[in-house]
Amino acid sequence: MTPETIEQTPVIELRHVDKHFGDLHVLKDVSLAVHAGEVVVVVGPSGSGKSTLCRTINRLEPIDGGQILIEGTPLPQEGRALAAMRAEIGMVFQSFNLFAHRTILDNVTMGPVEVLGVPRKEAERDALELLGRVGVREQAAKVPAQLSGGQQQRVAIARALAMHPKVMLFDEPTSALDPEMINEVLEVMVGLAQGGMTMVVVTHEMGFARRVGHRVVFMADGQILEEGTPEAFFTHPQTERARDFIDSIQGH
Amino acid sequence: MSAQDTGRAPGSAGLAPTAIRDVLFEAPGPRTRRLMRACTVVGVILVAALVAVVLRQFYLKGQFSPRYWLFFTRSTTWAFLANGFVGTLKVAAASGILSLVLGLVLMLGRTCGVRVVEVLSRVVIDFFRGVPSLLLIYFFFLVVPQYGIKLQSFWMITLPVGLAASGVLAEVFRAGVNAVPQGQVDAALSLGMSRGKIMAKILLPQAIRFVIPTLVSQLVVVVKDTTLAYVVSYPDLMQDARVLINNYTALVSVYLVVAVIYVVLNYLINKLAAFIAARSGVTLVTRAGETSL
Amino acid sequence: MGFAELISQYGGRYLTALLTTWGMTAVSYLVAMALALVVTVMRVCPIKPLRVLGDGYVQVFRNIPGVSLLVLVVYSLPHLGLVLDYLTSVIVVVSLVASAFGSENFMSGINTIQVGQIEAARSLGFGFGQIMRQVVIPQALRSVVLPMTNLLIAVMLTTSLGSQVPLSPNELTGLVSTINTHTTGGIAAFAISALGYALTSVVIGWVGNRIDRRVRILR
Repeated sequence: MTPETIEQTPVIELRHVDKHFGDLHVLKDVSLAVHAGEVVVVVGPSGSGKSTLCRTINRLEPIDGGQILIEGTPLPQEGRALAAMRAEIGMVFQSFNLFAHRTILDNVTMGPVEVLGVPRKEAERDALELLGRVGVREQAAKVPAQLSGGQQQRVAIARALAMHPKVMLFDEPTSALDPEMINEVLEVMVGLAQGGMTMVVVTHEMGFARRVGHRVVFMADGQILEEGTPEAFFTHPQTERARDFIDSIQGH
Repeated sequence: MSAQDTGRAPGSAGLAPTAIRDVLFEAPGPRTRRLMRACTVVGVILVAALVAVVLRQFYLKGQFSPRYWLFFTRSTTWAFLANGFVGTLKVAAASGILSLVLGLVLMLGRTCGVRVVEVLSRVVIDFFRGVPSLLLIYFFFLVVPQYGIKLQSFWMITLPVGLAASGVLAEVFRAGVNAVPQGQVDAALSLGMSRGKIMAKILLPQAIRFVIPTLVSQLVVVVKDTTLAYVVSYPDLMQDARVLINNYTALVSVYLVVAVIYVVLNYLINKLAAFIAARSGVTLVTRAGETSL
Repeated sequence: MGFAELISQYGGRYLTALLTTWGMTAVSYLVAMALALVVTVMRVCPIKPLRVLGDGYVQVFRNIPGVSLLVLVVYSLPHLGLVLDYLTSVIVVVSLVASAFGSENFMSGINTIQVGQIEAARSLGFGFGQIMRQVVIPQALRSVVLPMTNLLIAVMLTTSLGSQVPLSPNELTGLVSTINTHTTGGIAAFAISALGYALTSVVIGWVGNRIDRRVRILR
């Protein structure tokens, strides 16, 4: 899918979003629209607010000003409506956050069974298929601590997918991984992107951005400074900050 | 595999890690905020009502009468209580030292490598951890004299309290020794150091540094146990309180004041332990092995 | 007096005393757990006054010596119009003190849970109740098995406060004091009670360790 075939209403739309942590102004008048089938890669130096941006989309972080719309509907602020909305937005965290006391299979079935009311049998069939898709089906009976970081993160992706979300948020999904495990996770994400999943990905993986990203959003100091195709952004950055940033991540 | 939790502080916003109880409830929306405000009001009213009921009961039963409280303005009262307080501190200090020494010996025995000594130390540790201090006190108060051994009341309270604490301290020391990285022992062994030398030169010095805050917090248990001194008629704070009560027939006020003194003393000891722990950067070994309230 | 003589003369009373100690322990522990649960809920709830009250409760009851609380309950409360019988008084005292430590255990159990897991549950669409039932409580409970085992032992040892008030029948510590006021029970009188406590402690500790090994969460 290419950006040309995009529907009218964006899946996610941020309008003039403001957010403070105490005295720190972490998001300054941020506006962004993500359309169905689009893969948006958010990059920027640490402390630029990119993670916070990602976390505001399902209200893990409440915002102080502006508006967030999911398929044109304002993001609910609390209660069942918020939970129902979150169930439709998948999220993958930097630190995997699998439920330590449950098996891998349970981790994937808990959402559908508890939240969507899917019968357990059906949820397990679905979960095993998903685990197979991310390549950890054999681990289904183990607990998270018995898996490598890369495996855990793939399970986390399967857990989010089990809810059949309309969009997936990735908050630095490979930053906590040992280098040799990064690719196995990226491969799964590439497969998702190629399958047409709408994705917002906070990451420094330029290779990923170039392969499947439709758009790169560059943030610094809580603002979006640049937006463009990965090719344009990485080869011809418009701002000094972006140039410095690209140099710094290419440095190693 | 270390899945450090970095999820909370976004980017490098540099926020202090949040206690879990602040995360259990997410940032409230407008409806939740109204509900919380209402609950807060109800909560304040409930707490105030509770206090009011207690105060009313004091008033109705005449417990606010000046004769129950005025003698607290006399210096003699406080001098007397201070005397008892010093008695409490003396017993606490002596049993503290006794339990330190004995706890260390028991730990060394438990880890010495000689099977018989290890088993014996373990039995002694489990015994002192599994028997109430009060029973030990009765042993020194009622049983020991039957064998013609005359102890001063000071020792009749200090010995049992110290013994009871030594079992726990042995386990605390052992936890400290276990906290020293095994690599250091391997390194020392490869240098040809003997077991005893490794314990004395490498393990113990570090272990003691690790457990100092825990040792301090264990003083609370010792202080609590000293309140049993009245059983053997040793003049500690609790015993002196009983004398005051007889003098002024003011039971409620005296017992309350004494309870407050103990709570404050123990609170300060806990605070001190936490302070030392924070300063030396060691985590307070929890009360995991502890079996006293 | 030797063991044989003591057992023949007082054996039945020792047995009763042991059962009394066990009974007081069980009741106090259950009451303490219930209280600890309530206090812990107060301490984690977002209502400030309840939090303060819960924290204050724990500070007071974990720092007050058992005897000091016992004299307040047994001798002071009647002056304020509340008379409890001796057995109830001891159980109330032990329960109050134990509940403070129980709540501390629960709090540290809750604190072992990664914040991220709660956020993950939230992002799956779990409501507050589901997060508590599915994520927080099961993990907290599994990680408090050992401390709660030690608390049970501590509760048993603290029921020895029952020797400080007239109880009938005596519990284990009180019985030693009773016997020694009638006869010279010698070391045997003490040893039988001590064994009753120590063996029970060992068994409780053993069971607790087994349970802990079964439910412990790999991290």
